[in-house]
Amino acid sequence: MKHMLAILAAAMLAAAGPARAADTIKLGALYPLTGNSAPAGQAAKAAIAVAVDIVNTAHPEFKGLPLADTAGLPNLGGAKIEVIDADHQGDPSVGQQQALRLITREHVAALLGTYQSSVALTATAVAERYGIPFVIGDSVAANITQRGFKWTFRVTPIAGDFAVSYVDFLTQMKRSGRKVDSIAVLNENTDYGTSIGGSIVEAAQKAGYQVMRIVYNAKSTDVSAQVLQLKDKNPDVAIFVGYTADEILYMKTLKELDYKPAMIIGDDAGFSDPSFIPAVGDISQGVLDRSAWDAGKPGSVTYRINEMYKARTGRDMDDTSGRWMQAFFVLADAINRAGSTDPAKIQKALRETDLKPAQLMMGYRGVKFDASGQNLLASTYLIQLQGKSYKAVWPEARATATLQWPMTGWK
Amino acid sequence: MTRRGWVVLAAALLAYPWAVAGSDGAAFLQDMGALVLLAAIGASAWNILGGYAGQISVGHAMFFGAGAYVPLLVYQHWQAPPLLGVPLGVAASLGIALIVGHPTFRLAGHYFSMATIAVAELVRIMVGNWDFLGAAIGLQGPATGRGWYDLTFRSAVPYYYIFLAVLALLLAVTAQMQRSRLGYYLHAIGAGERAARSLGVPVRRYKLYALLLSAGFTSLAGSLYALKTGFVDPDSGLGILVSVQMIITAALGGAGTLLGPLLGAAILVPLQTATNTWFGGGGSGLTYVIYGGVIVLIARFEPGGLLELWHRRAAARLARRGRVRHAA
Repeated sequence: MKHMLAILAAAMLAAAGPARAADTIKLGALYPLTGNSAPAGQAAKAAIAVAVDIVNTAHPEFKGLPLADTAGLPNLGGAKIEVIDADHQGDPSVGQQQALRLITREHVAALLGTYQSSVALTATAVAERYGIPFVIGDSVAANITQRGFKWTFRVTPIAGDFAVSYVDFLTQMKRSGRKVDSIAVLNENTDYGTSIGGSIVEAAQKAGYQVMRIVYNAKSTDVSAQVLQLKDKNPDVAIFVGYTADEILYMKTLKELDYKPAMIIGDDAGFSDPSFIPAVGDISQGVLDRSAWDAGKPGSVTYRINEMYKARTGRDMDDTSGRWMQAFFVLADAINRAGSTDPAKIQKALRETDLKPAQLMMGYRGVKFDASGQNLLASTYLIQLQGKSYKAVWPEARATATLQWPMTGWK
Repeated sequence: MTRRGWVVLAAALLAYPWAVAGSDGAAFLQDMGALVLLAAIGASAWNILGGYAGQISVGHAMFFGAGAYVPLLVYQHWQAPPLLGVPLGVAASLGIALIVGHPTFRLAGHYFSMATIAVAELVRIMVGNWDFLGAAIGLQGPATGRGWYDLTFRSAVPYYYIFLAVLALLLAVTAQMQRSRLGYYLHAIGAGERAARSLGVPVRRYKLYALLLSAGFTSLAGSLYALKTGFVDPDSGLGILVSVQMIITAALGGAGTLLGPLLGAAILVPLQTATNTWFGGGGSGLTYVIYGGVIVLIARFEPGGLLELWHRRAAARLARRGRVRHAA
């Protein structure tokens, strides 16, 4: 019995982990570093490491980006930021536990997270109970910011924002003389497709467009019925919300049945998949896709950030990691303005956040939180497949190539 | 275990939250204590069917899930306190156990295990596509409690004592069972089903009793999980890993023994937490390498569970003492 207790006590003390000195500003980050979404978590961790480097050392070449030109946070006497990484394994319970550890054991001033929305829901609840600011970079479930929480801030756009971006774009096209009256939305039938598809239909109808919707199963092996339905109605623009295999199948079927609307917009997932361009890039010339991240022209801030990220990981930075990095910059800026690591002061500074597009590395219209903590100005770029890669074409201020309308497809 | 042993164990468990209260990160250590007890409840509940009766179910996640879903369901749809859903969850689990037990108990050995996996996966996929049950998104509890009845505490200490009370009840029931006809019958079934039947044990009926008892308590474990976490989705409530965790915990400490599951939980949960705390942030996946490695070592050298090792040493000590007395 005594042995058992001794083992028990030793194991429990060991689990607490080593304590660290508190001479820097400590922030906690909760990523999925193992499990199904490990690649996304690892990429986000690398992005945060790059962001910490940018804030902690002087980088005068990053013009406009807050805190880049100085070393550390000037309002806190040049204090450096230390990010304590934690792995929540994609498990809501582990996320809760690790948030608790970062708050009570590591005494972090604020938290960042989390990729999976399920983990965001439980981890933010811990931060709420302890009164620690939690800044969400990339989790998109709408209800995360619909629970009346006062310590949760979300920088990323969510389903409704994507819909608004698409409709804004189409309205602008219409004003410039292109024919955009009818829209078709084709979405797959699980959580992802139905929520985004529904938001687009709603936003487009509100803006006065004639909308048709086709809901399909992403695992189907034949989509000619859907394409024929599309051909029959002949909409001006078709918006696809689906995964990889189904979107590739759609592009092939469109060509086989020789039908092409003036423009196709893909909602990230399938169109952004690394296998999309090799498989159907040649017959999908001119399709649009969304991304809030674009490396931009050589010499630009984003281009330099991408170079730093590439030096660390050997890959270009992706949209998800970019959204994490932006969340970190927003938090660092708020801590600097607060001039303190007191959570309540950081919370106040976050509420007063008002960043302009020129101060951001992502394509948002700004960062300004509403009472629920959601960024009111979150939006996205549209990128167009031209040749072998996507190029930013909208909004014009951030474009690196001119928009081609109508799309050329396979001709 | 001797009476003194029980008193020491009970005192240690009762004192734990206070013992760590003064340390840095006390809240985290208390939270881990609650998670140890929760894992012990799940594993002890599984142990009734899997340990004593020797029916290795790999589908207990469905009972855990029923227990986790129903309290959050009554909150989500009718704003009722989740606590009200706890007995409903147990009732749902017993219903599922009756339906599932009948056909699966016709199967023996590995086939039984496979059938339970299949049923549990079926339930997971069904729930994942059922809007009323939150589909793929899952269900949430009250994030900040409206009153004490929502059982939403900032500190883990209240959860710790609630879990401890449930564990005490479960262990008392199990101890009582061990000494009753049910216990002997289950032991006989575990040792050899055909032999038990030939000796006149009503095997099917008693296996069903064990399943009902086991399912009811597993459902309680699920409810406690949902109350503490405030969230459940198909993976965290009904995923196969939920079942596997119960089995590993029970087997590590000693399946078919009263305290084996508690011992297993007291080792596994802190081990999991410690490896994740030390190596998780590095992102190298070392967490699982070490965690898995320890399990492999124990399985290789102490397949009967760690409690076996302790029993053996106690027996050796007793024998030594006997020899000494003899010589004197």
